[in-house]
Amino acid sequence: MGSTFFSNIIKLISRYGHVFLLEGVVYTLLLSLIAVAGGSVLGSLFALAKRSKFIPLRAVVSAIVEIVRGTPMLLQLYAGVFIFPQIVPALKELPDIVSVIIVLIINSGAYVSEVIRSGIQAVDIGQTEAARSLGLSARTTMMSVVLPQAVKNILPALGNEFITVIKETSLASTFYVGELMTSYLKVKGNTFLTLETLTIVGVLYFVLTFTLSKLLQAAERKMKHA
Amino acid sequence: MLDIKNIYKNFGDLKVLKGVSTHVEKGEVISLIGVSGSGKSTLLRCMNLLETPTFGEVWMEGKLLTPVDPYLHFDVIRASKTYARLTAEGLTDEEAIEKIKKNDLLHEKHGAEGKEYVRLMKQIYAENHLDANLARQKMGMVFQQFNLFNNKTVLGNITLAPVKIGIARMKAAKRAGKPVTETKESIQAAAEKKAMELLKRIGLEDKAGSYPSSLSGGQKQRIAIIRALAMDPDVMLFDEPTSALDPEMVGEVLDLIKELAKSGMTMVVVTHEMGFAREVSDRVLFVDEGYIKEEGSPEEIFKNPKDAHLKDFLSKVL
Repeated sequence: MGSTFFSNIIKLISRYGHVFLLEGVVYTLLLSLIAVAGGSVLGSLFALAKRSKFIPLRAVVSAIVEIVRGTPMLLQLYAGVFIFPQIVPALKELPDIVSVIIVLIINSGAYVSEVIRSGIQAVDIGQTEAARSLGLSARTTMMSVVLPQAVKNILPALGNEFITVIKETSLASTFYVGELMTSYLKVKGNTFLTLETLTIVGVLYFVLTFTLSKLLQAAERKMKHA
Repeated sequence: MLDIKNIYKNFGDLKVLKGVSTHVEKGEVISLIGVSGSGKSTLLRCMNLLETPTFGEVWMEGKLLTPVDPYLHFDVIRASKTYARLTAEGLTDEEAIEKIKKNDLLHEKHGAEGKEYVRLMKQIYAENHLDANLARQKMGMVFQQFNLFNNKTVLGNITLAPVKIGIARMKAAKRAGKPVTETKESIQAAAEKKAMELLKRIGLEDKAGSYPSSLSGGQKQRIAIIRALAMDPDVMLFDEPTSALDPEMVGEVLDLIKELAKSGMTMVVVTHEMGFAREVSDRVLFVDEGYIKEEGSPEEIFKNPKDAHLKDFLSKVL
């Protein structure tokens, strides 16, 4: 069995390598990148809204964040692709991949907003007080003193969020959107080689996340000296 | 220079200041002494509005820094007809003020007097109010924990506020159509030149490019002091500037503060260093249980204390 397993893997790679690499890996990275980039923007807005003095806005955003963090990703994807289009017919026009991306962004935004909030909170209050005591406005204090220090706390956590999202995009294969787990479904469907295909996909996921986390560690070490 | 009128400060249910009034004259050096938790740091932090007083007013050179809340002005409340009516009904002064505050009786919705009262408050505000940010530019503060900006070099720490505020002023002048000769670069250059002069004064010019994490506590605190001086403040507030220092570094920081005092800087110092308070102060305030229990010259306070708590405090620390 051992020799057929490995020869099957080699066959699969030579025959379907483009499906795994060009489709699967590229789509997975692309989806994750869009989700985290969009999530960072949305998360910053959420974090700002949570610090707002306007209570209804704060309540709405807090509710969204709590709901997203308190329900499974797969359920949110179902809601985005099947349930909301039932309620809002205009959403039916959207291709599945767009709905999936929107859900990923909102999901990521909720987690990122918490990352940003705690990153800002972790900056010593004395830094703010010193800046304000010199006569700097709240805005300048935030931009020149607090945020640059918060970023140092935020970046590593944001990298971890990226790694998490890479793994979570696998759930999007439920809707056959072309990422790595979809490549598994496709290749398995053509060849009936479940174990071999899963192994290839597993290794690819691991290589992606492991490389990223090592890069992150290096970046973190570098930032500590700055 | 600074007028503190009837300041109250509550943190939730905790009453830290219970009606403190004092004034700071130009060129005067005042020490605040007292046990931990007596409210002396809170009083200092109310002076530059790092803490907003729950009640009371802070005035700086005739300008009001605290928010104008109608019910902070007891004198104005007492002048109202509502107050006259309530006292005529047999309420004491305190009860009448309490009732007016609690029921918001001097509000527009309560008729002509309320309207007049709100108008008066707006007028007081328009004529006297000074934005806290502007006031703080003229009030330097030095903290127990130094609070140097960790993300900036020593030079960056000292120049941040002069540059940011200089540029904001320049832009405001431009908007107002006044002739402006400064540029961002000239403001930056002037701030750096001044910062280097200040660093030379304390013998740390070789540290200009270092980050705070590489400095000793004494160096950090001396840089925090000149960072405040770079704004050309009219008054300096010190919040236990030597309490977080290793003993061998206390001297260098106290020497710099003494030098400042001799140069005629107006200062308010919260301190546990009684020898220092005695040497440099013009006036010593003993803060206890949220009140100023006793105040006087260092001679009077240290040689001839009257308050029982002050006697007890001095016997422990001297």
